[in-house]
Amino acid sequence: MKRIFEKFIESLLTLSGATTGIIILLIVIFLFREGAGFFRHSEIESGYVLCVNEENPVYRLTPKQIKEIFDYEIDNWSLVGGNDEEITPFRISDISDYYSDEELGENNEFLPEKLGEIIAATPGMVAFIPEQYAADTNERVRQLITEKLNPADFFGGDTWMPTATPAPQFGLLPLLLGTLWVGLCAILIALPLGLGVAIYLGELADEKIRNLLKPTIELLAGIPSVVYGFFGLVVVVPFIQKTFDLPVGETAFAGSLILAIMALPTIITVAEDAIRNTPQAMREASLGLGANHWQTIYRVVVPYSISGISAAVVLGIGRAVGETMAVLMVTGNAAVIPHSLFEPVRTIPATVAAELGEAPHGGAHYGALFVLGCILFLITVVISVTAEVISKKQPQA
Amino acid sequence: MNSHLLKQNIAFAIFRILGLMVVSILFWILGFIIYQGAGVISWEFLTSAPSNGMTSGGIFPAIVGTLYLIVGSSVVAFPVGILSAIYTSEYAGNGNIVKFIRIMTNNLAGIPSIVFGLFGMSLFVNTLGFGDSILAGSLTLGMLALPLVIRTTEEALKAIPDTFRTGSLALGASKLQTVHRIILPMAFPNIITGLILSIGRISGETAPILFTVAAYFLPQLPHSIYDQVMALPYHLYVIAVSGTDLEATRPMAYGTALVLIVIVLIINISASYLRKKLQKRHA
Amino acid sequence: MKQLFFIAAILISGLVAVQAQKIKGSDTCLPLSQKEAEDYMNANPSATVTVTGGGSGVGISALIEGTTDIAQSSRKIKFEEKQKIKDAGNVLKEVVVAYDALAIVVNPDNQVTKLTREQLEGIFTGKITNWKEVGGADLKIVPYSRETSSGTYEFFKESVLKNKNYKSGIMSMPATGAIVQSVGQTKGAIGYIGLAYLSKDVKAIHVSYDKGKTFTAPSVKSAKDGSYPIVRELYYYYITKKEKQVRPFIDYVLSTKGQKTVSEIGFIPN
Repeated sequence: MKRIFEKFIESLLTLSGATTGIIILLIVIFLFREGAGFFRHSEIESGYVLCVNEENPVYRLTPKQIKEIFDYEIDNWSLVGGNDEEITPFRISDISDYYSDEELGENNEFLPEKLGEIIAATPGMVAFIPEQYAADTNERVRQLITEKLNPADFFGGDTWMPTATPAPQFGLLPLLLGTLWVGLCAILIALPLGLGVAIYLGELADEKIRNLLKPTIELLAGIPSVVYGFFGLVVVVPFIQKTFDLPVGETAFAGSLILAIMALPTIITVAEDAIRNTPQAMREASLGLGANHWQTIYRVVVPYSISGISAAVVLGIGRAVGETMAVLMVTGNAAVIPHSLFEPVRTIPATVAAELGEAPHGGAHYGALFVLGCILFLITVVISVTAEVISKKQPQA
Repeated sequence: MNSHLLKQNIAFAIFRILGLMVVSILFWILGFIIYQGAGVISWEFLTSAPSNGMTSGGIFPAIVGTLYLIVGSSVVAFPVGILSAIYTSEYAGNGNIVKFIRIMTNNLAGIPSIVFGLFGMSLFVNTLGFGDSILAGSLTLGMLALPLVIRTTEEALKAIPDTFRTGSLALGASKLQTVHRIILPMAFPNIITGLILSIGRISGETAPILFTVAAYFLPQLPHSIYDQVMALPYHLYVIAVSGTDLEATRPMAYGTALVLIVIVLIINISASYLRKKLQKRHA
Repeated sequence: MKQLFFIAAILISGLVAVQAQKIKGSDTCLPLSQKEAEDYMNANPSATVTVTGGGSGVGISALIEGTTDIAQSSRKIKFEEKQKIKDAGNVLKEVVVAYDALAIVVNPDNQVTKLTREQLEGIFTGKITNWKEVGGADLKIVPYSRETSSGTYEFFKESVLKNKNYKSGIMSMPATGAIVQSVGQTKGAIGYIGLAYLSKDVKAIHVSYDKGKTFTAPSVKSAKDGSYPIVRELYYYYITKKEKQVRPFIDYVLSTKGQKTVSEIGFIPN
């Protein structure tokens, strides 16, 4: 009986040991399953089709062309491979310019027929209409071929307009570059600061000060990110705007600054551990050869602990890249490929947090946000593994 | 020689200044929030629901909601986390399995909280049909806390010298008895501290609860774990950026930030206090 | 342990089945629903009304999934969303609880007081970039938009931009309050906000939809008599199955008292 009990407990323990693996597996399954759904959606809003006149030689338009046509930026078919003819974009709401409500019938029963007539009569028209109305239009109307959203457009696209109609634009680049840009700048700010404090704590500070500083820095790590974001919003953003005389204070720089403060504790703790791991014998040897304390630090201690310090940097980047709330509150969230530090940017986590609430469940936009989640997941996995590999290189004391 | 000494002095001075800077950043943030928030804190603020379109009243439901989420996520993360740590440090030996589990735990710890939010929404809210609820939020937060719990517990167990294990086994105790009677009681102070610290880390998380539990306005306290709750971090976010009159809600936001910080600080400080106290008793 | 937890959870929830309703969706409707819920619960202490934001899309999704009782929305339900409700065998009910006027706001220091729809279109699509082009100082225009996916964003695009897309890389703020704050701080800023959000930090622009013949300032009055052009409906959606549960609250919102709250908040009553 007792043996069975012990066996039971042991298998329970084994099972618990596997939990983290199972959770990661679940995350992968659910994230990627929902994300994969994105690529099953059509390029234009679901439930709608694009129709043109039968005589039009154009059979297919890319999402980008569709968007520009409906924004009146492309106004001639010759620009998209057709005849030299003016483009007339048509939305279902424009029907009132052509026919009165009476002519369309009480329940819009004449709508499909009338739509057909309009398109047939206008050679340069491209009409964005619900699928159900397009079914029985006349033979002089042809539907444009629409394809499924494809990964090349997603990963190479430079426009993020997930709600643009008729063709939403899902371009990853501005978000990805925005994320990396803010993250890297944060590290550039945090690294010298963090490394300096780590050296101070590990080498210079006497025990009393160290015992005071270390817990204080740990407290810094404990402050919730939303508080940092709030602080950034009410203090840092107006400060940046005034100091640099900018049109807007919500900039990549504000985000980097807040993220740098948030990444500091991680960098300091990990780097300090690495520095303190340097064997005493090496320090003494260096000092014994006549080097002073500072020379010992930058010639012996830092090179020796460089892999630990690199791991600290990588982990800091990981923290910065994945941070959501603080960045959402201070960076202005403009989906443009960043050109300077003093412009608004938009990061992947902020996009997910801001847009998931608005995206219709199961739609292309919803799927796109899960793809973003997958990308974020992959980035952090790469970062964790890199940190692991780097810190393994540190010779153990 | 002198120039070397000069360099050293300059370098060391810079490091001292940097150390001072980091500390002053912390105190600046804390000081600012305390200065702005202290005037708002009152008995009424702590014990009543928001009223007048979030411009007056208090944050009681959000405080209670956060406490519920803390308890809920602890119930999820503690048992699994502790058992998992016992398995890796006491049972699994040093082979590839442990390596694999450790890599998984590290990876899990590195996953951004918003990804947990996405996952929680997909699995708990939609697939399992819990809806926005304490249950879904606690499970999501619990998963976020899990790697922290595992790591701290493992460290606590590792700190117990092997002689105790071999001694116990030599006296005829089974492995389970050894763990149960010897190892766990000895590691207890450090395990508890680790647990408290991991609670502190998750109590301020916003992104995972955005889409799994948080309510904008819900003055009643929850009746079951299928109810939504208000939560402090989300409440702070939402009143900081939305509302028809930001100026009128600003004091509420400062007050909420202060309460949130105080809760987190209390958790952190009590953990280190407990560690010191329990360690002394053991020593 | 985990299973035990689940069993306990189910037991507890079974024991305490409370008559409660959840409202979820548009952030624009939040202040209204929140105040209405507050008053309704004061009048009926036994009732529980939960109000959650997230956005119009999340509210309607939740309605489809059955995780909310009322979806509040600042846009009309989309074709595909309606289809999903139908597919689930449910009948959708739509109630217009209030109207919302969108005010165009600029920094109080800005000298510009009126703009035509065409000028607004130029500004938000990126064709007009300096205030001097519309009669103001030589200052760069910084347009602020709501989150690309909010109902407010889509309505503004439809009404003011005539369905053209915003200029790429427009500043998009997570919530209307954030626009108020940013426009109040930023000299060259322009943004659009619900009438309810107007405060002294920002200045509302007079708008013309007839190419500059008449300019109207946004107000509850001008929106109600139809002279202010940028007005939209605010909806509550629910499914008929839950009629009994949600109707008392909706009736309260539509009552004289409820509609008085509507205008107090800054929306336009029915």
